[in-house]
Parts: sequence; structure tokens; C-alpha cells
Amino acid sequence: MAEKVVAELNNVYLESDRGAQVLQDLNFKLHAGHSAVITGPAGSGKTTLVELLVGLRFAQSGSVELFGEYLKTGSARSIRYVRRRIGGVGGIFALIPSISVAENIMMPLVLAGERRKVRQERLLKMLSEFSLLKCAGEYPSSLTRVEITLVQFARASIAHQPLMIIDEPLAGLDRETYQRITDYLVTVSLSGRSMIILSSEILSQQLPNMDYYQLMNGALS
Amino acid sequence: MAHIFRELSRNLSRNPGTALGSLLSLTLLFMLFELYWVTAITSARFYSHLLSDLTMEVFLTEETADSTLTSLQTTIASMDGVKSVDYISKQQARAELSRLVGVDLLIGYDSLNPLPRSFILTFSPEYLTATIMADIEGEIERMPVVSHVSYSKHWLEKTESARALILKIGMVLGAVILLAAWMSLVNSIRLMTRARAVGFSQMRLLGAGKLFLALPFLVEGFLIGGLSAGVGWLLIFYGKQRIAFTQFEIVVPTLQEISIFCGAAALLGIISGYLGIRRLLR
Repeated sequence: MAEKVVAELNNVYLESDRGAQVLQDLNFKLHAGHSAVITGPAGSGKTTLVELLVGLRFAQSGSVELFGEYLKTGSARSIRYVRRRIGGVGGIFALIPSISVAENIMMPLVLAGERRKVRQERLLKMLSEFSLLKCAGEYPSSLTRVEITLVQFARASIAHQPLMIIDEPLAGLDRETYQRITDYLVTVSLSGRSMIILSSEILSQQLPNMDYYQLMNGALS
Repeated sequence: MAHIFRELSRNLSRNPGTALGSLLSLTLLFMLFELYWVTAITSARFYSHLLSDLTMEVFLTEETADSTLTSLQTTIASMDGVKSVDYISKQQARAELSRLVGVDLLIGYDSLNPLPRSFILTFSPEYLTATIMADIEGEIERMPVVSHVSYSKHWLEKTESARALILKIGMVLGAVILLAAWMSLVNSIRLMTRARAVGFSQMRLLGAGKLFLALPFLVEGFLIGGLSAGVGWLLIFYGKQRIAFTQFEIVVPTLQEISIFCGAAALLGIISGYLGIRRLLR
């Protein structure tokens, strides 16, 4: 039986607003349960790629397909569907400043229409898993850089989102948190969830079912 | 639902000045309109009361034979809008004159009573307009036995033009209030959304739909609009209890009309809420 495709990008071409070529002839395919690490220097188009994957930008030519839905201008329903199946960490996936840590973590469940009891149970699990119990009632502005990353991981995992997109996951982390996050990435990988990790440096730890790509001159190699 | 109400209470508690400011300014605006409404229907009631006393007097020529009076009365009574036709003989006219003046001015003129015979006409309320009355006047004046017709023509014309003016003022006032209420609510909701723009884009990134994001603001618009109109009415009712006029009674709209008005104000609030948030939903 053919493996389910989580994300597929075919011959994607994208120019910036000023006409500079950002992505060209980009092809990428990610199967369910597999993960990809995409590395590239700053300005190579990693964040643009994330924006394409969540429907914030659209390819000028080529196709972007996630969970069987094509992301293109005007496909608001498809974009909403795809976004609810993605857990994002880092980069553009900032926390909502006007609500507490607990509410931030629970938001994907609220959007999924989960019952209050389920929300509370899963929240408690996430808060203890990421050692966030003490700051559950705080607002993002009072958190440290490390705590923000942990909250983002908790939010990206609470609804068992089948795809996690992690933009520069280890930047600025202390040694202990770095190890903790890489261990967590291994757990996620083993759980059958897919991940797309965008990083300017190569991960020190090998993850199961992981493919490595390099984003250079707008294309993946 | 819980999220929506939590967001709503958060909106209000984080921006109490904006929310209270728009509630008060809208209350004042709506109350101004409500006061105008009460004044308009009170004056309309007063006007119809005055109008119901309006009669037309048809004076007959001296040559008119008594035998033609009954058929003439029937002809006039059959005209559109004429409710009643009462015959006033020379003797009755003399008695009425004596009543009005307080003394019989025609003593010694029993056989030479110069007062004309007449008919006094009353009309159905819907016919009591300057145009219709003028038409009826013209039709009656064309009858050969009629010497002249008299009624409060100028008073009727002036009152009608005054009513038309009040109606125009009401429409302009209504439009200005609607615009002011709309702008006030749109701006206050826009201020609240601007402070939360980052949160909006993040929620959308998590897959939140437009309705999910907009609903707290729409509910807020609904509440502020409906409450402002309701508070305005409460103040007016309070004032009505305290003030009483002996010449006329203050008339207020029915409970159904007030409910419809408050509903419309709440709807205006929803529309304003949507307009306030629209840009962020794009």
C-alpha cells in the first residue's frame, strides 16, 4: 500500500515583492511518519517555504499540496483545514500575546471544538511534560526565550497535529533545554507524526525516518 | 462559546475606557433620537386631537328654498370623507351668536334675522388634509345655493407645513445619529482590534476562521448598541415619571416599538462591529 503523502511541492516558483527570485523549481515530498530537516543559510528562503506551507504566501507557479489540499489564493477553507493539522514552533509561529500560556497551549483544541474536559486533561499533560505548570497563568510577555519555545512545542503537540513545522528549533537554547528538545523530537518522530525542521545548522542528533535537504539558490537538494 | 464570552469580557476589561466611552456616547445619541421620537408622537397626538375638532361651515343663500334643504343635505353627506352634516337654521344661528357674545344682538329683528342658514360638516380623520379639504370646499362652492364656505384653512395649511418640517428634521436627525453611532462604534471596536492585531494573525495561523475571530467583536457591538438604546429609554421613562404637563399627555412608543428600536440599535452594533474588524479579517 502506498504511503500517505503529508506534503508535496511540485516545481514551485516564487518571487519576492521586489521581483527577486526566492524559490525556483522547488520539489519536495514528505510521507506520513517521515520527517525532513531543511538547512540553509540565512536568507536562503526557509521562512518563505514555511509561509508557503501554511498558506501565508502562494506559489507563482507550481503546486503546494498538504494533506490532499491544494493551497492557492482563495482556498480559505483548505488553508484553515491545513493549518489546524500543523503544529508550528519558532519563526512565524509566535504566541498570542493577549492570552495566558494555558490558553495559548489549548488554542488548537478550542479551534478543533474539543470538549472542556478533554482540553483540561491534555493541557495538564502538556504543562507537566514541558515543565510549564508554574507559568500556566502568565502571559507570553513575561516568559523567557526558553519558556516561549517550550510553550510553542506544547501548543504544537496538544492536538496531536500530524505535521509539526519547526523553524530554527534550537537557536538560543541552553545546553539542557537543547538536549531536552532533541529528545522530544526523537519521541515525536517515533510517534508517527511528521516533522519539517528548518535550521541554519545541522542537528547534532540523528532522528528516525529523517531526510536531510539543503535549500540553496531557491531549490532543495 | 465559552471562548467567545471570555474574549468579549477580555475586550471590555482591557479597554474599559473605550467600551464605556462608546456606551455613553451612543446612549446620548440614541437618547437624542428617542427624545425626538417622543416629541414627534406627542405632538402628532396633540395635532390629531386638534384636527378632530375641525369643521367646515357651508352658508346658504337667502333665496334657497326650504324644500331643497333635505336633498342638499343628502348630496353633501354623500361626498367622500364627509362624516356628518348638521343643519343650522336662522334661529339656531341666532342662539349660537347669543351664546358666543353673551347677549342677543337681534332683539327686535325677529322677522328680519340676517344670519344665514348653514350646514356644519365634520370629516373622517384621513380626509383632514389641506388638499382634500380644498377640493371639498371647491366642490361645495360650485353648488348654486351655496353663498360661501368657511373653515380654518390657513391654520390647517400652516400646521401641515410645520408637520412636514418636523418630519424632515427627524429624517436628517435620524441619519446624523445613525452615522454618528455607526462611526463611534466602528472606531471603538477598531481601537480594540488594533491592540490585538498580532493575536489575530497568530490565531489565523492556527486555523481560526473569520467568524471565530469576529464573533466576540460582533457580540460586543450587539451589546453596546442594544444597551445604549435601552439605557436611553430608561432615562426617558424616568424623566416622564417626574415631569407631567397639564395641557397634554407625553406619549411614548409602545413596548413593541421600543423593542424593535433596541433590536435595530443592536443590529447597527453588529454591523459596526463587523466594519471595525473587517480589515483584520482580510
